[in-house]
Amino acid sequence: MNTLTDNAIMLRVKAGDLDRMSLLFERYNRQLYGFLFHMTYDREASEDMAQHVFYKMLKYRYTFTGDGEFVAWMYQIARNTIKDMAKKNKNRVQQYDVDDMADRIGGGTLADEHLEKKQAKAELHKAMAKLNEDHREVLTMSRFQELKYQEIGQILNISEGAVKVRVHRAMQELKDIYKKLELSGR
Amino acid sequence: MKCEQYQDKFTELVNNQLSEVDKQSVELHLAGCADCRQELADMWKLWDMMGEIEAPEPSAHLMVKFNAMLETYKESQAEGDGLWARLKEQFGRLWQTQPQWPLSYSLAVFLMCLGIGYWFIRPAKIAEQDKQMAVLTAQVHELKETMMLALLENPSASERIRGVSYTSDIKHADKEVINALLATLNNDPNVNVRLSTLDALTHLANHPEVREGLIKSIVEQDSPLMQSAIADVMLKLQEKRSVKSFKEILKQKNLDSGVRDKIKQTITQLI
Repeated sequence: MNTLTDNAIMLRVKAGDLDRMSLLFERYNRQLYGFLFHMTYDREASEDMAQHVFYKMLKYRYTFTGDGEFVAWMYQIARNTIKDMAKKNKNRVQQYDVDDMADRIGGGTLADEHLEKKQAKAELHKAMAKLNEDHREVLTMSRFQELKYQEIGQILNISEGAVKVRVHRAMQELKDIYKKLELSGR
Repeated sequence: MKCEQYQDKFTELVNNQLSEVDKQSVELHLAGCADCRQELADMWKLWDMMGEIEAPEPSAHLMVKFNAMLETYKESQAEGDGLWARLKEQFGRLWQTQPQWPLSYSLAVFLMCLGIGYWFIRPAKIAEQDKQMAVLTAQVHELKETMMLALLENPSASERIRGVSYTSDIKHADKEVINALLATLNNDPNVNVRLSTLDALTHLANHPEVREGLIKSIVEQDSPLMQSAIADVMLKLQEKRSVKSFKEILKQKNLDSGVRDKIKQTITQLI
Protein backbone atom coordinates (compact mmCIF):
# COMPACT_ATOMS: atom_id res chain seq x y z
CA MET A 1 0.00 0.00 0.00
CA ASN A 2 2.75 2.42 0.97
CA THR A 3 4.39 1.99 -2.37
CA LEU A 4 1.58 3.93 -4.02
CA THR A 5 2.72 7.33 -5.22
CA ASP A 6 1.37 10.46 -3.58
CA ASN A 7 -0.45 11.36 -6.75
CA ALA A 8 -2.13 7.97 -6.97
CA ILE A 9 -3.31 8.26 -3.39
CA MET A 10 -4.59 11.79 -3.86
CA LEU A 11 -6.49 10.74 -6.98
CA ARG A 12 -8.20 8.03 -4.97
CA VAL A 13 -9.13 10.60 -2.34
CA LYS A 14 -10.53 12.72 -5.13
CA ALA A 15 -12.59 9.76 -6.31
CA GLY A 16 -14.23 9.61 -2.88
CA ASP A 17 -11.98 7.35 -0.84
CA LEU A 18 -11.50 10.01 1.84
CA ASP A 19 -9.83 7.66 4.33
CA ARG A 20 -6.72 7.59 2.15
CA MET A 21 -6.00 11.11 3.27
CA SER A 22 -4.63 9.55 6.46
CA LEU A 23 -1.78 8.07 4.45
CA LEU A 24 -0.84 11.45 3.06
CA PHE A 25 -1.11 12.90 6.53
CA GLU A 26 1.33 10.30 7.85
CA ARG A 27 3.76 11.02 5.06
CA TYR A 28 3.67 14.78 5.16
CA ASN A 29 2.43 16.21 8.44
CA ARG A 30 5.95 16.68 9.86
CA GLN A 31 7.32 18.26 6.73
CA LEU A 32 4.34 20.54 6.36
CA TYR A 33 4.48 21.52 10.00
CA GLY A 34 8.19 22.25 9.68
CA PHE A 35 7.62 24.51 6.74
CA LEU A 36 4.81 26.39 8.47
CA PHE A 37 6.87 26.74 11.60
CA HIS A 38 9.91 28.15 9.82
CA MET A 39 7.66 30.65 8.08
CA THR A 40 5.84 31.80 11.21
CA TYR A 41 7.84 30.70 14.30
CA ASP A 42 4.58 30.04 16.05
CA ARG A 43 4.01 26.47 17.22
CA GLU A 44 0.33 26.74 17.91
CA ALA A 45 -0.51 28.62 14.74
CA SER A 46 1.55 26.16 12.72
CA GLU A 47 -0.46 23.23 14.00
CA ASP A 48 -3.71 25.01 13.27
CA MET A 49 -2.52 25.85 9.80
CA ALA A 50 -1.29 22.32 9.11
CA GLN A 51 -4.71 21.02 10.08
CA HIS A 52 -6.30 23.62 7.84
CA VAL A 53 -4.13 22.63 4.88
CA PHE A 54 -5.31 19.02 5.15
CA TYR A 55 -8.88 20.22 5.44
CA LYS A 56 -8.49 22.33 2.32
CA MET A 57 -7.01 19.41 0.44
CA LEU A 58 -10.12 17.41 1.27
CA LYS A 59 -12.49 20.21 0.44
CA TYR A 60 -10.83 21.17 -2.82
CA ARG A 61 -9.83 17.64 -3.83
CA TYR A 62 -11.66 18.19 -7.11
CA THR A 63 -9.06 20.74 -8.14
CA PHE A 64 -6.26 18.19 -7.94
CA THR A 65 -5.61 17.06 -11.50
CA GLY A 66 -2.58 14.85 -11.03
CA ASP A 67 -0.67 16.75 -13.72
CA GLY A 68 1.74 18.23 -11.19
CA GLU A 69 3.28 16.73 -8.09
CA PHE A 70 1.13 16.28 -5.03
CA VAL A 71 3.82 17.92 -2.90
CA ALA A 72 3.76 21.04 -5.04
CA TRP A 73 0.00 21.24 -4.72
CA MET A 74 0.23 20.81 -0.94
CA TYR A 75 2.85 23.55 -0.62
CA GLN A 76 0.79 25.91 -2.74
CA ILE A 77 -2.15 25.44 -0.42
CA ALA A 78 0.14 25.88 2.58
CA ARG A 79 1.50 29.16 1.21
CA ASN A 80 -2.02 30.47 0.67
CA THR A 81 -2.93 29.46 4.18
CA ILE A 82 0.02 31.43 5.55
CA LYS A 83 -1.02 34.46 3.52
CA ASP A 84 -4.59 34.21 4.78
CA MET A 85 -3.41 34.01 8.35
CA ALA A 86 -1.08 36.97 7.88
CA LYS A 87 -4.01 38.99 6.55
CA LYS A 88 -6.17 37.98 9.48
CA ASN A 89 -3.46 38.88 11.99
CA LYS A 90 -2.47 42.10 10.30
CA ASN A 91 -3.40 44.15 13.33
CA ARG A 92 -1.83 41.75 15.79
CA VAL A 93 1.79 42.27 16.56
CA GLN A 94 3.94 39.26 15.77
CA GLN A 95 4.39 37.50 19.02
CA TYR A 96 7.59 35.57 18.59
CA ASP A 97 10.76 36.55 20.27
CA VAL A 98 13.86 35.95 18.23
CA ASP A 99 16.13 35.54 21.27
CA ASP A 100 13.86 32.84 22.51
CA MET A 101 13.89 30.95 19.26
CA ALA A 102 16.78 28.59 19.85
CA ASP A 103 15.01 27.17 22.89
CA ARG A 104 11.76 26.94 21.05
CA ILE A 105 13.15 24.91 18.21
CA GLY A 106 14.47 22.62 20.87
CA GLY A 107 18.07 22.86 19.81
CA GLY A 108 21.07 22.04 21.93
CA THR A 109 19.91 19.51 24.44
CA LEU A 110 22.93 17.30 23.88
CA ALA A 111 25.13 17.29 26.94
CA ASP A 112 28.41 17.39 25.08
CA GLU A 113 27.44 20.30 22.94
CA HIS A 114 29.82 23.16 23.44
CA LEU A 115 28.49 26.42 24.69
CA GLU A 116 30.11 28.17 21.79
CA LYS A 117 28.44 25.95 19.27
CA LYS A 118 25.15 26.45 21.02
CA GLN A 119 25.57 30.17 20.80
CA ALA A 120 26.49 29.98 17.14
CA LYS A 121 23.35 28.00 16.46
CA ALA A 122 21.22 30.51 18.32
CA GLU A 123 22.74 33.24 16.22
CA LEU A 124 21.97 31.34 13.05
CA HIS A 125 18.34 31.11 14.19
CA LYS A 126 18.26 34.82 14.70
CA ALA A 127 19.76 35.39 11.28
CA MET A 128 17.18 33.10 9.69
CA ALA A 129 14.39 35.01 11.37
CA LYS A 130 15.76 38.26 10.02
CA LEU A 131 15.81 37.03 6.44
CA ASN A 132 13.54 38.46 3.82
CA GLU A 133 10.52 36.13 3.68
CA ASP A 134 11.05 35.02 0.09
CA HIS A 135 14.59 34.04 0.97
CA ARG A 136 13.60 32.25 4.14
CA GLU A 137 11.04 30.35 2.14
CA VAL A 138 13.45 28.98 -0.46
CA LEU A 139 16.08 28.17 2.15
CA THR A 140 13.52 26.32 4.25
CA MET A 141 12.43 24.34 1.24
CA SER A 142 15.86 23.54 -0.12
CA ARG A 143 17.87 23.08 3.09
CA PHE A 144 15.42 21.96 5.72
CA GLN A 145 12.94 20.13 3.55
CA GLU A 146 15.44 19.03 0.96
CA LEU A 147 13.19 19.77 -1.99
CA LYS A 148 14.79 19.87 -5.43
CA TYR A 149 15.07 23.15 -7.30
CA GLN A 150 12.70 21.82 -9.91
CA GLU A 151 10.09 21.04 -7.20
CA ILE A 152 10.51 24.45 -5.62
CA GLY A 153 10.03 25.99 -9.04
CA GLN A 154 6.74 24.15 -9.42
CA ILE A 155 5.53 25.33 -6.01
CA LEU A 156 6.48 28.95 -6.54
CA ASN A 157 5.50 28.87 -10.18
CA ILE A 158 8.90 30.12 -11.34
CA SER A 159 11.65 28.55 -13.47
CA GLU A 160 14.36 26.31 -12.05
CA GLY A 161 16.92 28.98 -12.97
CA ALA A 162 15.03 31.58 -10.98
CA VAL A 163 15.01 29.26 -7.97
CA LYS A 164 18.77 28.83 -8.28
CA VAL A 165 19.28 32.58 -8.24
CA ARG A 166 16.93 33.08 -5.33
CA VAL A 167 18.58 30.39 -3.19
CA HIS A 168 21.97 31.86 -3.91
CA ARG A 169 20.85 35.36 -2.93
CA ALA A 170 19.24 33.95 0.16
CA MET A 171 22.50 32.29 1.21
CA GLN A 172 24.37 35.53 0.63
CA GLU A 173 21.90 37.47 2.73
CA LEU A 174 22.03 34.86 5.48
CA LYS A 175 25.82 34.94 5.47
CA ASP A 176 25.86 38.74 5.77
CA ILE A 177 23.34 38.84 8.59
CA TYR A 178 25.08 36.01 10.41
CA LYS A 179 28.45 37.72 10.16
CA LYS A 180 27.03 40.95 11.54
CA LEU A 181 25.46 39.11 14.46
CA GLU A 182 28.71 37.28 15.12
CA LEU A 183 30.66 40.52 15.18
CA SER A 184 28.20 42.31 17.42
CA GLY A 185 28.08 39.28 19.73
CA ARG A 186 31.78 39.42 20.47
CA MET B 1 36.40 33.74 -15.07
CA LYS B 2 36.63 35.97 -12.04
CA CYS B 3 36.38 34.73 -8.46
CA GLU B 4 32.95 36.24 -8.08
CA GLN B 5 31.57 34.10 -10.88
CA TYR B 6 32.90 30.96 -9.20
CA GLN B 7 31.51 32.05 -5.89
CA ASP B 8 28.10 32.38 -7.46
CA LYS B 9 28.19 28.63 -7.88
CA PHE B 10 29.04 27.81 -4.26
CA THR B 11 25.44 27.63 -3.15
CA GLU B 12 24.71 25.10 -5.81
CA LEU B 13 27.85 23.21 -4.91
CA VAL B 14 27.01 22.82 -1.24
CA ASN B 15 23.42 22.09 -2.17
CA ASN B 16 24.67 19.30 -4.44
CA GLN B 17 22.88 20.76 -7.42
CA LEU B 18 25.92 21.57 -9.52
CA SER B 19 26.52 19.73 -12.76
CA GLU B 20 29.63 17.57 -13.02
CA VAL B 21 31.24 19.88 -15.59
CA ASP B 22 30.78 23.00 -13.49
CA LYS B 23 31.97 21.16 -10.43
CA GLN B 24 35.25 20.29 -12.09
CA SER B 25 35.90 23.84 -13.25
CA VAL B 26 35.14 25.21 -9.79
CA GLU B 27 37.49 22.69 -8.15
CA LEU B 28 40.18 23.59 -10.62
CA HIS B 29 39.87 27.25 -9.69
CA LEU B 30 39.77 26.51 -5.96
CA ALA B 31 43.09 24.70 -6.12
CA GLY B 32 44.79 27.94 -7.04
CA CYS B 33 42.71 30.56 -5.10
CA ALA B 34 42.98 30.83 -1.31
CA ASP B 35 40.28 33.52 -1.02
CA CYS B 36 37.73 31.33 -2.73
CA ARG B 37 38.72 28.36 -0.57
CA GLN B 38 38.03 30.46 2.51
CA GLU B 39 34.76 31.66 1.04
CA LEU B 40 33.65 28.12 0.31
CA ALA B 41 34.70 26.96 3.77
CA ASP B 42 32.49 29.67 5.31
CA MET B 43 29.66 28.57 3.12
CA TRP B 44 30.08 24.94 4.14
CA LYS B 45 30.17 25.92 7.79
CA LEU B 46 26.92 27.81 7.52
CA TRP B 47 25.32 25.09 5.44
CA ASP B 48 26.31 22.36 7.88
CA MET B 49 25.14 24.39 10.82
CA MET B 50 21.78 24.79 9.16
CA GLY B 51 21.67 21.03 8.81
CA GLU B 52 22.08 20.68 12.55
CA ILE B 53 19.00 22.69 13.29
CA GLU B 54 16.50 20.13 14.52
CA ALA B 55 13.28 19.93 12.61
CA PRO B 56 10.47 21.17 14.83
CA GLU B 57 8.02 18.40 15.59
CA PRO B 58 4.27 18.82 15.77
CA SER B 59 2.64 17.72 19.00
CA ALA B 60 0.55 14.60 19.24
CA HIS B 61 -2.53 16.81 19.17
CA LEU B 62 -2.13 17.32 15.45
CA MET B 63 -2.80 13.66 14.71
CA VAL B 64 -5.82 13.58 17.03
CA LYS B 65 -7.23 16.75 15.53
CA PHE B 66 -6.64 15.51 12.00
CA ASN B 67 -8.49 12.26 12.65
CA ALA B 68 -11.40 14.12 14.23
CA MET B 69 -11.54 16.51 11.28
CA LEU B 70 -11.48 13.65 8.78
CA GLU B 71 -14.34 11.87 10.56
CA THR B 72 -16.48 15.00 10.73
CA TYR B 73 -15.78 15.79 7.13
CA LYS B 74 -16.69 12.27 6.02
CA GLU B 75 -19.95 12.48 7.93
CA SER B 76 -20.89 15.83 6.45
CA GLN B 77 -20.10 14.48 2.98
CA ALA B 78 -22.08 11.31 3.55
CA GLU B 79 -25.12 13.35 4.59
CA GLY B 80 -25.04 15.78 1.71
CA ASP B 81 -23.78 13.42 -0.94
CA GLY B 82 -25.75 10.40 0.13
CA LEU B 83 -29.19 11.93 -0.12
CA TRP B 84 -28.64 13.74 -3.37
CA ALA B 85 -26.69 10.99 -5.04
CA ARG B 86 -29.31 8.41 -4.11
CA LEU B 87 -32.17 10.56 -5.37
CA LYS B 88 -30.38 11.28 -8.62
CA GLU B 89 -29.50 7.65 -9.09
CA GLN B 90 -33.05 6.47 -8.43
CA PHE B 91 -34.48 9.02 -10.78
CA GLY B 92 -31.95 8.11 -13.46
CA ARG B 93 -32.86 4.46 -13.13
CA LEU B 94 -36.56 5.31 -13.33
CA TRP B 95 -35.95 7.31 -16.46
CA GLN B 96 -34.13 4.41 -18.03
CA THR B 97 -36.56 1.65 -17.17
CA GLN B 98 -39.84 3.50 -17.77
CA PRO B 99 -41.03 4.42 -21.26
CA GLN B 100 -39.86 8.00 -21.45
CA TRP B 101 -42.83 9.73 -23.09
CA PRO B 102 -45.46 8.60 -20.61
CA LEU B 103 -43.09 9.39 -17.79
CA SER B 104 -42.57 12.95 -18.93
CA TYR B 105 -46.32 13.26 -19.43
CA SER B 106 -47.06 12.19 -15.89
CA LEU B 107 -44.32 14.49 -14.63
CA ALA B 108 -45.96 17.41 -16.43
CA VAL B 109 -49.34 16.51 -14.94
CA PHE B 110 -47.77 16.25 -11.53
CA LEU B 111 -46.24 19.72 -11.84
CA MET B 112 -49.55 21.14 -13.05
CA CYS B 113 -51.35 19.67 -10.06
CA LEU B 114 -48.79 21.29 -7.82
CA GLY B 115 -49.47 24.65 -9.46
CA ILE B 116 -53.24 24.32 -9.22
CA GLY B 117 -53.01 23.19 -5.65
CA TYR B 118 -50.97 26.24 -4.89
CA TRP B 119 -53.63 28.52 -6.38
CA PHE B 120 -56.34 26.83 -4.35
CA ILE B 121 -54.49 27.02 -1.12
CA ARG B 122 -53.49 30.64 -1.55
CA PRO B 123 -56.97 32.26 -1.24
CA ALA B 124 -57.57 30.25 1.89
CA LYS B 125 -54.38 31.63 3.27
CA ILE B 126 -55.36 35.18 2.41
CA ALA B 127 -58.75 34.70 4.08
CA GLU B 128 -56.94 33.42 7.12
CA GLN B 129 -54.76 36.52 7.16
CA ASP B 130 -57.81 38.78 6.80
CA LYS B 131 -59.37 37.07 9.75
CA GLN B 132 -56.31 37.66 11.87
CA MET B 133 -56.22 41.26 10.75
CA ALA B 134 -59.85 41.75 11.78
CA VAL B 135 -59.16 40.31 15.20
CA LEU B 136 -56.21 42.61 15.61
CA THR B 137 -58.18 45.67 14.51
CA ALA B 138 -60.93 44.81 16.96
CA GLN B 139 -58.36 44.55 19.72
CA VAL B 140 -56.89 47.94 18.89
CA HIS B 141 -60.41 49.36 18.91
CA GLU B 142 -61.14 47.98 22.28
CA LEU B 143 -57.91 49.36 23.58
CA LYS B 144 -58.72 52.83 22.30
CA GLU B 145 -62.14 52.69 23.82
CA THR B 146 -60.79 51.76 27.21
CA MET B 147 -58.22 54.49 26.96
CA MET B 148 -60.84 57.05 26.00
CA LEU B 149 -63.05 56.16 28.92
CA ALA B 150 -60.11 56.43 31.26
CA LEU B 151 -59.08 59.79 29.82
CA LEU B 152 -62.58 61.21 30.29
CA GLU B 153 -62.08 60.76 34.04
CA ASN B 154 -58.81 62.68 33.97
CA PRO B 155 -58.71 65.89 36.07
CA SER B 156 -56.87 67.76 33.30
CA ALA B 157 -59.19 69.35 30.73
CA SER B 158 -56.75 68.91 27.86
CA GLU B 159 -56.48 65.19 28.63
CA ARG B 160 -60.25 64.92 28.60
CA ILE B 161 -60.35 66.64 25.20
CA ARG B 162 -57.79 64.16 23.99
CA GLY B 163 -60.02 61.36 25.20
CA VAL B 164 -62.99 62.79 23.38
CA SER B 165 -61.00 63.13 20.17
CA TYR B 166 -60.36 59.39 20.21
CA THR B 167 -64.01 58.82 19.36
CA SER B 168 -63.38 59.95 15.79
CA ASP B 169 -61.35 56.74 15.43
CA ILE B 170 -64.06 54.56 16.91
CA LYS B 171 -66.37 53.55 14.11
CA HIS B 172 -68.85 51.44 16.00
CA ALA B 173 -69.38 53.26 19.23
CA ASP B 174 -71.11 51.10 21.80
CA LYS B 175 -73.52 52.15 24.48
CA GLU B 176 -70.87 52.59 27.08
CA VAL B 177 -68.98 55.10 24.96
CA ILE B 178 -72.11 57.07 24.07
CA ASN B 179 -73.21 57.24 27.67
CA ALA B 180 -69.81 58.44 28.75
CA LEU B 181 -69.82 61.12 26.09
CA LEU B 182 -73.30 62.30 26.96
CA ALA B 183 -72.39 62.46 30.62
CA THR B 184 -69.37 64.57 29.73
CA LEU B 185 -71.52 66.79 27.52
CA ASN B 186 -73.89 67.55 30.38
CA ASN B 187 -71.60 67.57 33.38
CA ASP B 188 -68.07 68.55 32.43
CA PRO B 189 -67.07 71.77 34.17
CA ASN B 190 -64.92 72.93 31.25
CA VAL B 191 -66.76 74.47 28.30
CA ASN B 192 -64.06 73.48 25.82
CA VAL B 193 -64.37 69.85 26.77
CA ARG B 194 -68.12 70.08 26.35
CA LEU B 195 -67.73 71.72 22.92
CA SER B 196 -65.44 68.97 21.64
CA THR B 197 -67.76 66.37 23.10
CA LEU B 198 -70.62 67.95 21.18
CA ASP B 199 -68.50 67.79 18.06
CA ALA B 200 -67.70 64.14 18.62
CA LEU B 201 -71.33 63.30 19.27
CA THR B 202 -72.42 65.04 16.05
CA HIS B 203 -70.33 62.47 14.16
CA LEU B 204 -72.21 59.71 15.93
CA ALA B 205 -75.64 61.22 15.17
CA ASN B 206 -76.72 58.16 13.21
CA HIS B 207 -77.28 56.45 16.57
CA PRO B 208 -80.83 57.28 17.78
CA GLU B 209 -79.74 57.35 21.43
CA VAL B 210 -77.19 60.04 20.55
CA ARG B 211 -79.89 62.24 18.99
CA GLU B 212 -82.15 61.80 21.98
CA GLY B 213 -79.34 62.56 24.35
CA LEU B 214 -78.49 65.73 22.41
CA ILE B 215 -82.07 66.96 22.50
CA LYS B 216 -82.30 66.27 26.23
CA SER B 217 -79.05 68.06 26.71
CA ILE B 218 -80.37 71.34 25.24
CA VAL B 219 -82.08 72.34 28.45
CA GLU B 220 -79.09 71.28 30.55
CA GLN B 221 -76.66 73.73 28.93
CA ASP B 222 -76.29 77.13 30.54
CA SER B 223 -73.30 78.50 28.65
CA PRO B 224 -74.29 80.77 25.70
CA LEU B 225 -71.45 79.21 23.68
CA MET B 226 -72.85 75.74 24.14
CA GLN B 227 -76.40 76.83 23.54
CA SER B 228 -75.67 78.38 20.15
CA ALA B 229 -73.39 75.46 19.20
CA ILE B 230 -76.08 72.97 19.99
CA ALA B 231 -78.58 75.01 17.98
CA ASP B 232 -76.23 74.78 15.00
CA VAL B 233 -75.98 71.04 15.40
CA MET B 234 -79.75 70.63 15.55
CA LEU B 235 -80.13 72.68 12.42
CA LYS B 236 -77.52 70.59 10.67
CA LEU B 237 -79.22 67.38 11.74
CA GLN B 238 -82.67 68.79 10.85
CA GLU B 239 -83.90 67.52 14.21
CA LYS B 240 -87.47 68.80 14.55
CA ARG B 241 -88.00 67.20 17.95
CA SER B 242 -85.59 69.73 19.39
CA VAL B 243 -88.00 72.64 18.84
CA LYS B 244 -89.82 71.87 22.08
CA SER B 245 -86.62 72.01 24.08
CA PHE B 246 -85.57 75.27 22.43
CA LYS B 247 -88.90 76.86 23.25
CA GLU B 248 -88.30 75.85 26.84
CA ILE B 249 -84.96 77.68 26.84
CA LEU B 250 -86.58 80.78 25.43
CA LYS B 251 -88.67 80.93 28.61
CA GLN B 252 -85.51 81.49 30.66
CA LYS B 253 -85.25 85.14 31.62
CA ASN B 254 -81.48 85.44 31.90
CA LEU B 255 -80.85 84.03 28.41
CA ASP B 256 -78.19 85.80 26.38
CA SER B 257 -79.85 88.06 23.80
CA GLY B 258 -77.61 86.83 20.98
CA VAL B 259 -78.45 83.25 21.81
CA ARG B 260 -82.13 84.13 22.03
CA ASP B 261 -82.04 85.51 18.46
CA LYS B 262 -80.13 82.50 17.22
CA ILE B 263 -82.54 80.03 18.78
CA LYS B 264 -85.54 81.89 17.40
CA GLN B 265 -83.94 81.73 13.96
CA THR B 266 -83.24 78.01 14.35
CA ILE B 267 -86.79 77.30 15.35
CA THR B 268 -88.18 79.04 12.28
CA GLN B 269 -85.73 77.21 10.03
CA LEU B 270 -86.55 73.86 11.57
CA ILE B 271 -90.27 74.32 11.22
